[in-house]
Amino acid sequence: MTVPARASARTIYRRNPSRAARPRPEEPGRDRFWWYFMRISGLVLVLMALGHMFIMHVLVQLRGEEINFAFVTSRWGTPFWRIYDAVLLLLAMTHGVNGARIVIGDYVANRTARSLLILLLVIVTALWILLGLLVVVFFNPDTAPSVGPFS
Amino acid sequence: MFGLFGYQVSWSQLAWFGHRASGLGVLLYLFMHVVETSTVLFGPEVYDAAVGIFKNLPARLGEIVLMAALVYHALNGLRVIAMDFWPGLTVYYRPLTYGVIAATIVAMVPLSILMITPFAPWNPV
Repeated sequence: MTVPARASARTIYRRNPSRAARPRPEEPGRDRFWWYFMRISGLVLVLMALGHMFIMHVLVQLRGEEINFAFVTSRWGTPFWRIYDAVLLLLAMTHGVNGARIVIGDYVANRTARSLLILLLVIVTALWILLGLLVVVFFNPDTAPSVGPFS
Repeated sequence: MFGLFGYQVSWSQLAWFGHRASGLGVLLYLFMHVVETSTVLFGPEVYDAAVGIFKNLPARLGEIVLMAALVYHALNGLRVIAMDFWPGLTVYYRPLTYGVIAATIVAMVPLSILMITPFAPWNPV
């Protein structure tokens, strides 16, 4: 029985430095773009997504506020928070769905099934991003109906 | 290392699995959250009813799990990024992984207490 040669620490680093995610693709191209995208958008999302959670779950409670229609109206009364929410939506959706794409790639071995699943995911994501952006951009409290359709 | 279903699972394997599970969980919540927030276009009555679905103890417990998933995914993601760009840190991957898990637990103690307070059984408001 042969004992496999122990890879030197240096080779292990080069193969997979983080030992937690993928090593950086050697060739420049789409895969390498997404490798960098996940890390850069991840850094931005640490601030923006955790900031969003901090505002909605810590600050709101400490100030005794309540999340309702009036809260959204005053919050989206300033362009800053509309832009913040639009950017957060775009980055979180893209980062999350690309992560899901990689997970699908790991578990769905059939090429056709994998392509169809990813295509479906991309279409659904595009629709959701469109819906979210339309709401963030075009929300107008003055034209919103005061009474719902079910009353 | 610890035993699970007859396998020896290392904390770093668990950290990897946790990163995927928390990421997919947050993504699923995000899809729902976009729909829920979109109801704001239908006016105050519909929106207040939609967010009202989440103003109770079970939903708040779910939001605490969401917060924990996001905090863990963020910290573990920072660890992955740090090791990808400074390969020398790989030497410390084990203490860094333990640090991420510990920091998540430490951060979630005050956050959980704060978040559960309005709907806690001991605080009937």
